Amino acid sequence: MTRAAAAARGVSPFAVLVVAWALLTRAGVVPALFLPPPGDVARTAWEMLGDGSLWINIGASLGRVLIGVVVSLPLAVGLGVAVGLNRRLAHVVEPIVGFFNALSGIAWLPLAITWFGLGWTSVTFIMFNTIFFLVFFNTLVGVRTVPKLFENAVLTLGGSRRHVIFQVLIPGALPSIVTGIRMSIGFGWRAVIAAEMIATSTGLGFLIYNAANFHQTDAILVGILTIGILWLATDRLVLQPLERRTIERWGLVSTTP
Amino acid sequence: MGRWELGATWIVVLAGALGAWSVAAATLPVPDYFLPPPSAVLTAAADLVAKGILPVYVAESLRRILLAGLLGLLVGVPAGLGLGLSRRVADFFYPLLNFFQSVSGIAWLPLMLVWFGFGERTILVAVNYTVLFPVIFNALLGVRSVPRIYVSALRTLGASRWRIVRDVLIPGALPSIATGMRLGLAFGWRALIAAEMLVGANGLGFMIFNAQNFHLTARIMLGMAIIGLLWLLLDYFVLRPLEQATFARWGLVQR
Repeated sequence: MTRAAAAARGVSPFAVLVVAWALLTRAGVVPALFLPPPGDVARTAWEMLGDGSLWINIGASLGRVLIGVVVSLPLAVGLGVAVGLNRRLAHVVEPIVGFFNALSGIAWLPLAITWFGLGWTSVTFIMFNTIFFLVFFNTLVGVRTVPKLFENAVLTLGGSRRHVIFQVLIPGALPSIVTGIRMSIGFGWRAVIAAEMIATSTGLGFLIYNAANFHQTDAILVGILTIGILWLATDRLVLQPLERRTIERWGLVSTTP
Repeated sequence: MGRWELGATWIVVLAGALGAWSVAAATLPVPDYFLPPPSAVLTAAADLVAKGILPVYVAESLRRILLAGLLGLLVGVPAGLGLGLSRRVADFFYPLLNFFQSVSGIAWLPLMLVWFGFGERTILVAVNYTVLFPVIFNALLGVRSVPRIYVSALRTLGASRWRIVRDVLIPGALPSIATGMRLGLAFGWRALIAAEMLVGANGLGFMIFNAQNFHLTARIMLGMAIIGLLWLLLDYFVLRPLEQATFARWGLVQR
């Protein structure tokens, strides 16, 4: 199938949905206050793009996720490898990190507000906890599941501990690490939207929650669509290719002797 | 490492962490509400149980997430399977479901507020939505990713359409369905906590958010511990075994 045909197949269901939405609202089945027609939503989107407000909120939300990633990724991978090297330590740390994993996301918000007040720091703290623990956990598990055989092979060939770490354990753990990154950003994106509703006055979460206070359903829908499109674009264009390539390149496929 | 050794290490680590926390709470120059000692968390737990609040809140949160899980199982799975049966129908719904599963229920919450107002209905819709879409999506994906060769093999042997659905497509989709349930409930549990914070009048999310207003930090920590533990229990004893069982039994491991 050609690219164009594939694209058409991906877009046409949405076209059908929009037409149904337009018919439903034009016919007056649903009052515009509850569900404005697609034309109104498009106009609102156009206005919000024109006056820059949508861009500012997009920037704020993406910026928060990015800060969370930049701050927590190096730390999570570094610590994950360090702990993964020590089997004893790993046994103890794994369930603890597992617990914080289960807690990831919005549950940190009340504590974050207590410690840091409303604003950027609180959201960054939540993002840090969400991304850090998931990636840490996946790095740890990734390092520990690299078959001992490979480690021994490198050692037998006279490799040093450094060789083992940088040429066996880290590459071997990469597929698991990248899967962790993809999942953590998925959870993080949801957490940031929820946190922005409560703790900030910028961002897409704030945009839609604030619009709900004024019953501006068109602005809410613009926000929801933006949230969905941004996530799909990030996942499709960045995270999925990254995961696929890592698994193809370093995935321990067909290793059973 | 032996069982006993592991247990001993565990006790040492836990005791050390609790000790360090107590010392930090006693010595750090911060207000009491900033970092209450572990003992305060226990006191908060005893207090809330005595008042009968905690059991009710836990039950309310569990009721909501289990309801969503049940809906996913009874409605989401059959819907996904049904849509997946025909290639043409599946091709149409795949991009839509992918879009709706990637927008979390929390993002829909403001719209739900306008539609249903502040209250239980909005929470339930947001949580059910969050659980339902990954379940439908993965069930559909599961049916579609069963290798065609198995279907052809059965058809060659003269099997009816119903036999193919029952003996090939549904079992083949089970691992994907289990994954969808696990993912959906993981997102749903977080969406539930967020929804209870925003519009709840009870439940664990409401409890920790409300405690923040009154600087009852021990109560926040207690709530967080319960939220984490409940999810771990659900994940370790129900969802993960289910996923592993389906993978081992029906996972289409290519050898």
